[in-house]
Amino acid sequence: MRAEKITVQDVGKSYNTRHGPVMALDGITFSVAEGEFLCILGPSGCGKTTLLRILAGLEKEFSGWVEVRAAGSQKPINAMVFQENSVFPWMTVFDNVAYGLRMRRVPRELQRTVVQRYLELTGLAAFSRNYPHQLSGGMRQRVSVARAFANDPEILLLDEPFGALDEQNRLLLQQELLRIWELDRKTAVFITHSIDEAIGLGDRILVMTARPGRIKAILPIDLPRPRELVQIKGQPAFVALYQNIWKLLSEEVLRAREKEILPLALAEPGTKDDLYEKTISRG
Amino acid sequence: MLTEGRLSRIVSVLSPLFLLGLWETLARLNYLDVRLFSCPSRILGALFPLLWSGELLHHTLISLARIILGFFAGALPGVILGLSMGLFPMVRAMLEPMILATFPIPKLAIMPLILLVFGLGETSKVFTIAIGVFYLVLINTMTGVINIEPIYLDVAKNYWARRFDFYLTVAWPGALPMIFAGFRLGMGTALLLIVAAELSAARAGIGYMIWRAYDMFDIERMFVALMTMSLLGYVLAKGLDWLEARVIPWKQPSR
Ligand SMILES: Nc1ncnc2c1ncn2[C@@H]1O[C@H](COP(=O)(O)OP(=O)(O)OP(=O)(O)O)[C@@H](O)[C@H]1O
Ligand SMILES: [Mg+2]
Repeated sequence: MRAEKITVQDVGKSYNTRHGPVMALDGITFSVAEGEFLCILGPSGCGKTTLLRILAGLEKEFSGWVEVRAAGSQKPINAMVFQENSVFPWMTVFDNVAYGLRMRRVPRELQRTVVQRYLELTGLAAFSRNYPHQLSGGMRQRVSVARAFANDPEILLLDEPFGALDEQNRLLLQQELLRIWELDRKTAVFITHSIDEAIGLGDRILVMTARPGRIKAILPIDLPRPRELVQIKGQPAFVALYQNIWKLLSEEVLRAREKEILPLALAEPGTKDDLYEKTISRG
Repeated sequence: MLTEGRLSRIVSVLSPLFLLGLWETLARLNYLDVRLFSCPSRILGALFPLLWSGELLHHTLISLARIILGFFAGALPGVILGLSMGLFPMVRAMLEPMILATFPIPKLAIMPLILLVFGLGETSKVFTIAIGVFYLVLINTMTGVINIEPIYLDVAKNYWARRFDFYLTVAWPGALPMIFAGFRLGMGTALLLIVAAELSAARAGIGYMIWRAYDMFDIERMFVALMTMSLLGYVLAKGLDWLEARVIPWKQPSR
């Protein structure tokens, strides 16, 4: 048994909204071992992002207990790849990838070598002087991934990094991510709502219930590494896992759908399409 | 070959020429009263002496100096206060009521007060422009800071940006496009205010030229001044475009 890197104990979180409190997470308990790649799978709105933000220390108000064991080195504890486009539009690709290093006052020379390395690993080397608006969506997500890896954190937190991409791009980036991750096998928590992705990337899969997010199951994935994502898809172990997870998830998706009328009334305050969504749901 | 783009460029050159021709023709045929509306040939006739004598340049430079001085005198504190109000809720709480209460006062309405305080000299003209520019830049800058996408704040936090780093790498560049929008609005107001400011107690400037021409019923001179004003506005707007392209190289070419 490897040492535990992340421990999450009975974590709960509820948001206060105009319509009263909304429970996003409830009784979440799990741990992630040093060097493990954990995938979290769950229906939309079940609290995956909330959980990751708690792990990242971006969300401070929650109940329960979270510990990330730092190795006591100079490395930052975590780096997050955000679900939405989080690449700074006002910085070049190079400056975006160098951001964490720059903020930590890493010597310039070292910054340059590290950034160059990850630009090459993500196939962005030719674009280092470009601004994000000159890149495709897939390339922007690559920048976001490179930025997280270049910062050399103790744990990696990835929130559906490839969710907005098309099938081919996604497969390409998944394979790329695996290849980079294999280099030093950092502890990683990876959120997705694609079953394929979870099985292909993870050592274990944590399946969550519909809101309020609870843990429905934790499943080990016994596929050998390094993996070729296209090849493992046909393997019996993959198919069996896929069917098992689909059964668990479809129950939850159906359960979430039954409550569909409720979430509309509970829509987050202040979001841009707030009014719009209300308008179409009435019409 | 006549492409779409080329055709539209030809049209946009021809249509003003056509209108000028029409104006001239109507004036010559006495359908337009040249005493009120003048005509292109007469305006050109008035333009050249004003150009050769250097009089037009003199007035233009004086107005330009007032605009630029007033613009900087208003924009600089506008940016600084706008950034502070956007970044520090305490500063905002302190200043916002005053700003919001005084913003709607038309700047023209306080000109008499400005004249009383600063006298008839240059200061009052520069100050009038500065105050108009100030509010627009301030409000835009503040809005620009407040409306920075929260995701960028999360990134800064997640990557350990210190306070000052955050100002430099997120708040400032994030607000820059809005700041420039404020500059643009401010420049428009500056052009409006210069004419008003030069109405009272000025001895030079394009605005002065216009009012002088009015007193003397010199329509041609007035048209020359108006054309200069329009050219001045165009040049200043292009200047801002040029500056923006250098300061905000990441901006997508949208227009
Ligand atoms: N700031 C907030 N204020 C109020 N409610 C919120 C806030 N953030 C999230 N929520 C609610 O908490 C629940 C969980 O949100 P979260 O973003 O964690 O879901 P998710 O699993 O990441 O969803 P998705 O797969 O669509 O990204 C949702 O119902 C959401 O409406
Ligand atoms: Mg999410």
